[in-house]
Amino acid sequence: MTGIKAHKDPAMPPPLTVAEGPEWVEALTLLAPDMAHTLLAATRTLYPHDGLPERVYRRVILHFDRMAAMSPAAAQSLAEFVDRVDAAMPLPFRDLSESYRVAVLTSLEESAAFRLVQRSAVRFLYDDVEVWQAFGYEGASVHLGGYAARGFNDLDWLPEPPAGV
Amino acid sequence: MTEYDLDDSGVVVIIGSGAGGGTLAHELTKRGVGVVLLEAGRHLSAEDFVNDEWGGYEMLSWLDKRTASGDWRVARDHPVTPSWSCQVVGGTTTHWSGCCYRLIEDEMRARTVYGDIAGASLIDWPLTLDELEPYYDLAEARMGVTRTNGLPGLPANNNFKVMYAGASALGLNASTGRQAINSVPYDGRPATIQDGFTVTGDKVGSRWSTLNVEIPRALATGRLELRPRSRAVFIEHDAAGKASGVVYVDAAGTRHRQKARAVVLAGNCVESSRLLLHSASSLFPQGLANGHGSVGRYYLRHIIQTVWSVFDKPVNMHRGEIMTGVVDDFVRHDPARGFAGGYYVELNSMGLPTTAAFLDPGWWGRDFAQVIEQYAHMAGMLLSGEDMPQAGNRITLNDELDAFGVPVANIHYDEHPNDLKMRSHGYKTMTAIHQAAGARRSVEAPAYPASHNLGSNRMSAKAEDGVLDGNGRAHEVPNLFIADGSAFATGGACNPTLTIVALAIRQADFMARQMAAGEL
Repeated sequence: MTGIKAHKDPAMPPPLTVAEGPEWVEALTLLAPDMAHTLLAATRTLYPHDGLPERVYRRVILHFDRMAAMSPAAAQSLAEFVDRVDAAMPLPFRDLSESYRVAVLTSLEESAAFRLVQRSAVRFLYDDVEVWQAFGYEGASVHLGGYAARGFNDLDWLPEPPAGV
Repeated sequence: MTEYDLDDSGVVVIIGSGAGGGTLAHELTKRGVGVVLLEAGRHLSAEDFVNDEWGGYEMLSWLDKRTASGDWRVARDHPVTPSWSCQVVGGTTTHWSGCCYRLIEDEMRARTVYGDIAGASLIDWPLTLDELEPYYDLAEARMGVTRTNGLPGLPANNNFKVMYAGASALGLNASTGRQAINSVPYDGRPATIQDGFTVTGDKVGSRWSTLNVEIPRALATGRLELRPRSRAVFIEHDAAGKASGVVYVDAAGTRHRQKARAVVLAGNCVESSRLLLHSASSLFPQGLANGHGSVGRYYLRHIIQTVWSVFDKPVNMHRGEIMTGVVDDFVRHDPARGFAGGYYVELNSMGLPTTAAFLDPGWWGRDFAQVIEQYAHMAGMLLSGEDMPQAGNRITLNDELDAFGVPVANIHYDEHPNDLKMRSHGYKTMTAIHQAAGARRSVEAPAYPASHNLGSNRMSAKAEDGVLDGNGRAHEVPNLFIADGSAFATGGACNPTLTIVALAIRQADFMARQMAAGEL
C-alpha cells in the first residue's frame, strides 16, 4: 500500500510460518481448532483491516497458542473467552455477522478474559512485519545505517523550518 | 575489575546503576572512594540491544509485578505495570530519549510561588537553583547536551516539521530542543544516524547513558566493583542507627551481606521507597528513615499524555530521533491559565507496535482500525508537566511477597484538580498545534505506565516534611543517601534525568567533603 520496505531486526526471531490452506490449524500445539477459529473471528472483529490477508490473523492465533502453552492461566482465560462469546447468542460466535459479533464483544469488555484477548491481539497483530509493511512502518534501521540518509527529513509538503531552529 | 570483600566496611554501596547511581559511582571513584555498585539487571552491551520495540521492552524493563490503586487511568490500563523503569546495567538511561531541560527557579520554590493549594502538599526545595546551576553545567558537559558547550542542535526531522509548522502558525516557540544525543561526534561517541531506536538501548551509542559513559570510566579508576544481577533486599543498620550493610541476592539465588561505610539508594522511585519501607527494625518500626511516615508519600509521575494526529500526506514519524522538538511557551507558572505549574510540549514518535498499544488501550473496532491504518501519516507529541504532590499518593507494601521475599509495591495515585486542569489545557494546545499544520483527526491519548517517577522520598528543609536533606541524605540516618528521582522535593515540568545527574554530582562533592572531614 505504501511503497516502503519493512525490516525486522535480524536478531529477532523470524515470523511464524503459517499454511495458506485449512491445514494451518495443524501447527497449533495446545488450542483446539474450534477454539482457534473462534479466536480468529474475534481478532478480526476487534481489529478489522479488510486489506490484510487471513494469514496475519492466523499468526496472531499461533502466538495465542504459544502463550497458552506457556501459561496455564492464559490458557484458561482463552477457553473462558471462547465459552462466553459462543454462549452469548443462539449461534456460535464465528457464525455471527459483524454487528452481532461487535455486540457480543462489547458486552464482555469489562471481563479479564476479554482484556487478555484484546491486549494480546494488539501486541501480536501490530508487531507483524507484514502489517508493518502494509501500514508504512519501516521498523529496524541500524543494520541499514539508520534513517540519516533514508528520509528522516524528507517531508516536503510543509515549509522547511529555518536552519538551526 | 577490582573486588571488595563482603566484610569491607570501607566501601560505599550504591543500589542501582542508572542516571543517579551510575553517575554517583563514577564521581565517587574519581574522588578516590571505593564503591560496590549493586544492579538487579544484567550487564548488556550495544551488540545485545535490538531495533525492536517489544524486543527492547522485554529485554530492558523492570517487569516484576506491582499493583495500582486510585483514580488514575493507569490503574485501569496497566494494573500490574503502573510504572516503568529498566532492570539492566545503566538502568533507565538505556531507555531514555535524551531530553535535557533544567528546572526553573519558580519550580524550585513551588510552595512560595504557587501558594497554598488545597489538597496539595507543596514545599520549596531545600536548595536553590543558584546552588544547583554549577552542577547543571557539569552535567550538560558530561552528557554532551545539544545547544550547550558549543554543540549544535539536532536537525529537524519529519515529525518536527509538523510541530514547527503548527506551532509557528499559532505564534508559539518551537525548536529541536536540547538532548544528550550527539549531533556531532563528542566525547568518543559518534553522531546519531537517526535510527529511531534510542528507547530500546541505542546500539549506536550516540546517546549518553551511564552504561556507555559513567560506568566504564568508574571501572577504569580501579575503585569500582560492579555486581550485576544482584538484587538488594534489605538495608541493615547498627546499634547507633547508622546504615551498616546491604543484603542482596545474586544470580544464583545466594544471599550475601555487603558491609558499607555509607549506603545510597538509586533504584528508581518505586524500588527505593519499597526497600526503605521493607527495611524495618525495632529502631525504625515503620521502615528505615521513616520516622515521620514520609517514605513512599508525595509520589509524582508528571502530567504525561500524548496527541497523535493523522494528516493527508505521509509523515513517517518513525524515522529519526524520537523527541527532538520542544514548545516552551507553557513552562512558566502563570495563574491566568487557571492552574499552577507549567508544562513542556515535546516531540514524540513511536513505532507501529507501541502506537497501536498505547493510542488508547482498550480501544478496538473499525474506528481504531481506520486510524491505525494511517500510521505513516501520523505525527505525535508528548506533554510533560508538573503534577501536585499529595500525601495520599504513595507507594506502600502489599501482603503478597515477590520471589525474593520482599512485599510487592502498590502505587496509589489520585489526580488532583490542578492535574486535570493542566491535562485539559495541554490537550487543547497539542491538538491546536497539529490542527494548525493541517491535521485531519487528532487523538488525545492517555498516560502510559509512569516513567517519570519522582518525589516519594523527598528532600525537605524540615525533617517532618520529607525524608532527605538538601544533599539527598536521610534526615534520620546520617550515612544513608538517595540518588534518584524519589529525592525531588517537587516534580517541576521537565524530564528528570538531567536534574538527577546534576544532583548526583553535587551529592558526590558533599560526600567526599564529609569523608575528608571524617564525618562519613
